[in-house]
Amino acid sequence: MITVDHLTAGYGKLEILQDLSLAFAAEQFSAVLGPNGSGKSTLMKAIMGLNTIFSGSITLRTRELIGMQTEAISKLGIAYVPQRENIFTELSVLENLQLGVRILPRDQRENALNELFELFPILGRRKPQKAGQLSGGEHRMLAIAIAWLSRPTIMLLDEPSAGLAPAIATDVFNILKELSQQGITLIVVEQNARRILQHCDYAFVLREGRLMFDGSAQACLEDEETIKGYLGVH
Amino acid sequence: MPSSLLVTSLVNTIQIGSLYALMALGLTLTFSVIKLPNFAHAEYVTAGAYAALIISLAGVLNPLIIIAVAFLVGALTAVVSHLIVFKPLERQNVSLYTLILASFAVGLIIRYILFTIADYFNIFDLRIAIPLQILFRTGSLILTNLFAWVAPTSIVLVILLTLLINRTALGREMRALANNTILARVIGIPVERVKNYTWLLVGGMAGVAGALWGLQSAVSPLMGWAAIISVFAAAILGGLSSFPGTILGAYVVAFSENTIMLFLNFSYGVDLAYKPAIPFIIIIAVLLIRPQGLTQLLKRAGELGR
Repeated sequence: MITVDHLTAGYGKLEILQDLSLAFAAEQFSAVLGPNGSGKSTLMKAIMGLNTIFSGSITLRTRELIGMQTEAISKLGIAYVPQRENIFTELSVLENLQLGVRILPRDQRENALNELFELFPILGRRKPQKAGQLSGGEHRMLAIAIAWLSRPTIMLLDEPSAGLAPAIATDVFNILKELSQQGITLIVVEQNARRILQHCDYAFVLREGRLMFDGSAQACLEDEETIKGYLGVH
Repeated sequence: MPSSLLVTSLVNTIQIGSLYALMALGLTLTFSVIKLPNFAHAEYVTAGAYAALIISLAGVLNPLIIIAVAFLVGALTAVVSHLIVFKPLERQNVSLYTLILASFAVGLIIRYILFTIADYFNIFDLRIAIPLQILFRTGSLILTNLFAWVAPTSIVLVILLTLLINRTALGREMRALANNTILARVIGIPVERVKNYTWLLVGGMAGVAGALWGLQSAVSPLMGWAAIISVFAAAILGGLSSFPGTILGAYVVAFSENTIMLFLNFSYGVDLAYKPAIPFIIIIAVLLIRPQGLTQLLKRAGELGR
């Protein structure tokens, strides 16, 4: 669905991804793994048009994404949840959600919000609160909710469970499973490799901007060399 | 100091403070949404004032029409300066310093275009030609129909702008942009369109402030420039990010320049010529003591941006 071809990308003059080629299949739950600085987040930002592309191409089906504005990429049905600064902290929870549905036709917005409150009941109770005052877990749920509300076909999530208490991280993984069952193509960057490999279909392992492993989650779990060498033993 | 003088100075505080609020809100909006401390803001005020003066000299004396024309001219000046200068600079990712310098340059260019126009028609230091009527007088205090236009119009516009920011979809998108520009792009907010509307509003409000300013005192190509430091002082008091803080800041600056200055003059013989120093003193004091302005005090009032 998203094909990355000979991509070299980074920030300013710094090249982080080196001639990277990989493909994310439609309606699959893919994990992007690797040590810090391996270029996982850089890959997501490159797909969203948020950093510097030196060469290569990124296509959605047949459409070239490189050179498009971020706003236009999001209109193609790709939603992105950054690792940090992923909600509007100065706005109320409800306003954050209203911004999430603004891309939908007017008559579908109400429905989308109602469905959302079923999926994330806690957000329904926090509606009038300022988003910056939410707890860590609620904050993460809101960030995922904003992205989900635009009815994306593809969701990119950058370390959705990082820094959360184990019980709350479990909630996040359950939400990811739910989203995957809805037929959304999920691309998730994670530090917690063992954990996500139990949920996802496919895994890519990056190191120093290059692809080290590409295969099913099961194959990745069984590949001792990859697990020990690049992911650390959890 | 005599109470009649006190009352007159308080009336001035309300009138000038409301005008400062109108101008400073635009500045705060530009700073939070566009991320630009725009010194050319002064010239949108002057452009509005000259538009109002010229049509009043041409015989249009209905204040509502004068205000509407001033809004359009101010808005046009702001949008054009955005499209020709600021937007191309933003595209090149230039630093904040470059943008500030560019805003000085834009201001200078507009100011001297206005000088040229004023020179051509020979319209320096004229007041907008609405006939003066006295509505109310007691002792030294005289309230004219101009007071009835200036203060209420600015206050109504400040309220309308606040409602627009807090209650409408466009206002929500402006606040989103002020809070987190990257996320705004990521969720598909049409950032350029929201910025264009912001410039339109900011320029329009500045233009109206210019017209109202020209109702109560003479219009000159330097009038906006003369007011901009006071307006910046008001916006800085609001932490350059908070609407209620900016409005309060505007009245604090106007109060200091009018009532406190007069009091110092009366009680301690401080020369009134020191009045222009007041906004500088306020700016330096705020930056030294409370760089966040009054914002923290007003946290609960709901703010624009961070």
